[in-house]
Amino acid sequence: MKKKVLLMGASGSGKTSMRSLIFSNNPASLTSRLGATIDVEQNHVRFLGDLILNLWDCGGQDSFMDSYLTTQRPTIFQQVGVMIYVFDIESREPGKDMEYYRDCLDGLRYYSPDAAIFLLLHKMDLVRDPQQALEKRRQELEEVSGDATISVFGTTIFDQTLYKAWSSIVHTLIPNAGILSKHLSIFAQACGATEVILFERTTFLVVATSSSGSGVASSAVPTYTKDGADHQLEPTRYERTSELIKAFKYTCSRVREEFHTLELDLHEFSAILDELTKNTYVLVILHDPTIETAAVKLNIRLARNKFETLQADSLV
Amino acid sequence: MASNYISYDATASNQRPQRPLLNGTRRSSSVQRTKVLFLGLRRSGKTSIQSVLFKDMPPKQTFYIETTMRITKYPIDTVVPLELWDTPGNATPESIGIPIGQFRSLIFVIDIRDLYNQPITKLVDFVTAAYQSNPDINIEVFVHKSEKLQEDDKIENFRQIQERVTDRLLDLAPEYEGVQPNFYLTSVYDHSLHEAFSRVLHKLIDSLPYLEDMLNVFCANSQSPKAFLFDTKSRLYVATDASPVDSATHNLCCDYLEMLTSFGTLYKSASASPPRHIQPTGPNAPSSSSANGTSSTSSPTASTDALPQRSRKPNKEMFYPSAATSLHPATPGTTLTYHAITSSLALLALVPTAVYEGRRGLLEYNVVFFREGVQEICDVEKETREGG
Ligand SMILES: Nc1nc2c(ncn2[C@@H]2O[C@H](COP(=O)(O)OP(=O)(O)OP(=O)(O)O)[C@@H](O)[C@H]2O)c(=O)[nH]1
Ligand SMILES: Nc1nc2c(ncn2[C@@H]2O[C@H](COP(=O)(O)OP(=O)(O)OP(=O)(O)O)[C@@H](O)[C@H]2O)c(=O)[nH]1
Ligand SMILES: [Mg+2]
Ligand SMILES: [Mg+2]
Repeated sequence: MKKKVLLMGASGSGKTSMRSLIFSNNPASLTSRLGATIDVEQNHVRFLGDLILNLWDCGGQDSFMDSYLTTQRPTIFQQVGVMIYVFDIESREPGKDMEYYRDCLDGLRYYSPDAAIFLLLHKMDLVRDPQQALEKRRQELEEVSGDATISVFGTTIFDQTLYKAWSSIVHTLIPNAGILSKHLSIFAQACGATEVILFERTTFLVVATSSSGSGVASSAVPTYTKDGADHQLEPTRYERTSELIKAFKYTCSRVREEFHTLELDLHEFSAILDELTKNTYVLVILHDPTIETAAVKLNIRLARNKFETLQADSLV
Repeated sequence: MASNYISYDATASNQRPQRPLLNGTRRSSSVQRTKVLFLGLRRSGKTSIQSVLFKDMPPKQTFYIETTMRITKYPIDTVVPLELWDTPGNATPESIGIPIGQFRSLIFVIDIRDLYNQPITKLVDFVTAAYQSNPDINIEVFVHKSEKLQEDDKIENFRQIQERVTDRLLDLAPEYEGVQPNFYLTSVYDHSLHEAFSRVLHKLIDSLPYLEDMLNVFCANSQSPKAFLFDTKSRLYVATDASPVDSATHNLCCDYLEMLTSFGTLYKSASASPPRHIQPTGPNAPSSSSANGTSSTSSPTASTDALPQRSRKPNKEMFYPSAATSLHPATPGTTLTYHAITSSLALLALVPTAVYEGRRGLLEYNVVFFREGVQEICDVEKETREGG
């Protein structure tokens, strides 16, 4: 199954940078070497096996934008699954950005009325009060977008916010992520785990978690455990895990090694991060000290086939 | 360094000669701190270096550091208690307030793009002031902000600065031939700073040879090609085995430590009612590693929750955190292990995955042996510092 993902926004807003972080495991420090994208760069990215993301990274210089909105209009806006519009929060021409966005929205509504729309207010690291800047711009964008349903995220390539936004984006493309979540929660109970999180293998974006039926939805909800104790966990833990593991994968690649598994036995909790299926990694979090990590590892091995099947089903 | 001691001999360390520090004023109530003086021209990066190393300041934030107006002393608790003296760019030997000979190390920070004579003149002033009373003083030169230059220019400037410093000292008087400054390329933006400061620190650790011996023994017995003893908070390595340190491996260990520290905070339960109890990993429990074998016979499945329970008595006191990451999907691969040794030290070791998975008991036993030795050294070290 192929899904077309449009990546749009002004030149220099950071589209190619985020693509290289999420999909190519490049560090943020290397993005300054990227040149402007000429026309459209199309990329097919295999995500969860059968799901193929067809990324259209659309160069944002005015001349390109003008042609997307005129002669190339049907080509660009047809059959879009998701449009991601990136705004540089420190843009010197916010008015022009807004105008182009409105025109793209019109094109999208005409050719792909069902497409999901994600608006990323990017380079948040450059502003002093990110929360305030985000709220102000969110209101403006909601007004301009009219009755279109939009999801707005503040992001920067320098922290976990980018992973939060992208996990949410890919989540809309996995139709039956809810089923995966349900089985993760059964698995969590079987292991005596506080929480179980499923990541896509190359991007380390969160695919589903045991804690919420809808996968990546609110992570601040206390999680359920076998012994009935509620654990209030750090709300940003999913995206921060993605960021940490991605960074460590990059470190490993620098010494020509390949990150494979991780296990921790700390004062507060134990954790096991291991391959689950060909395309996914699973993170099992244990707060119950009576559980042996070796038993959990065995459980993971035994659950592999089941999840391989489930995952294939979740895409049709 | 090629000594054969495996166990730590406290008397030997107490008698090590030339401890200028012990000659200083000594109050039995407070810990004796080893003094380190930071020197360098204005904006060379002195305060940035200390903030990034010891205050967890993100490198980018150093941009907002204000210029230092007067001498500031920072007590830093690494494996040896340090007192770092930060100075303004215009400091002179006279303005420091105490004889320069009382410092164990002088760290000169020189901007790598600064090829003028001014920083070197300053360095020479301090070296002459120190040398008379303390010919053993360590002269450490950080050629800093090295990430600013391309590889070729970097090497060339580094070479030029080394040459000039050495020449100037020789010009001064032949007796300065004995002064052997150490040069390091550093930058707050990568791990070179941690590696350089680790090497500075090593010269201040009296028990270093014993720690190194113990690491050598650990490596030999665990088939480990490389092991580091890290100070977890500052991510400086306190000692390593005799095999050469390759920067890539050092960086990997630094990043691993950083990742583990961050990860540890993420899934900590803010509301868990009973404290988590964990099995002891004391010297008498090396069998904890056999868990692999026991659990496979009870074959739990994803659909049942019949899991083997821990039978051992929970005892939080004796629990030492540990972690492992395997760095290759196939078997002749490497596993990077982490074992807490004391509350502030951790052992990081590369071990063959086959050893980690197949001979876990042996590995854990070696860790316990290592831990006991290090703890003993630390205790003696502490007693000495506190004036017995
Ligand atoms: N400060 C900051 N800079 C960023 C961020 N993301 C990207 N950049 C920088 O922005 C610059 C432009 O990024 P690109 O990804 O090439 O921009 P683009 O949107 O692909 O531009 P076109 O291809 O011309 O449309 C690069 O120098 C990046 O390093 C961010 O989150 N914060
Ligand atoms: N590029 C780069 N800049 C650095 C590095 N270290 C420090 N800086 C910058 O250098 C400037 C001066 O740093 P400080 O730490 O204030 O220097 P200082 O030696 O303490 O200066 P004074 O207190 O004025 O004597 C700051 O803007 C830092 O951000 C480095 O490794 N690379
Ligand atoms: Mg681009
Ligand atoms: Mg300063």
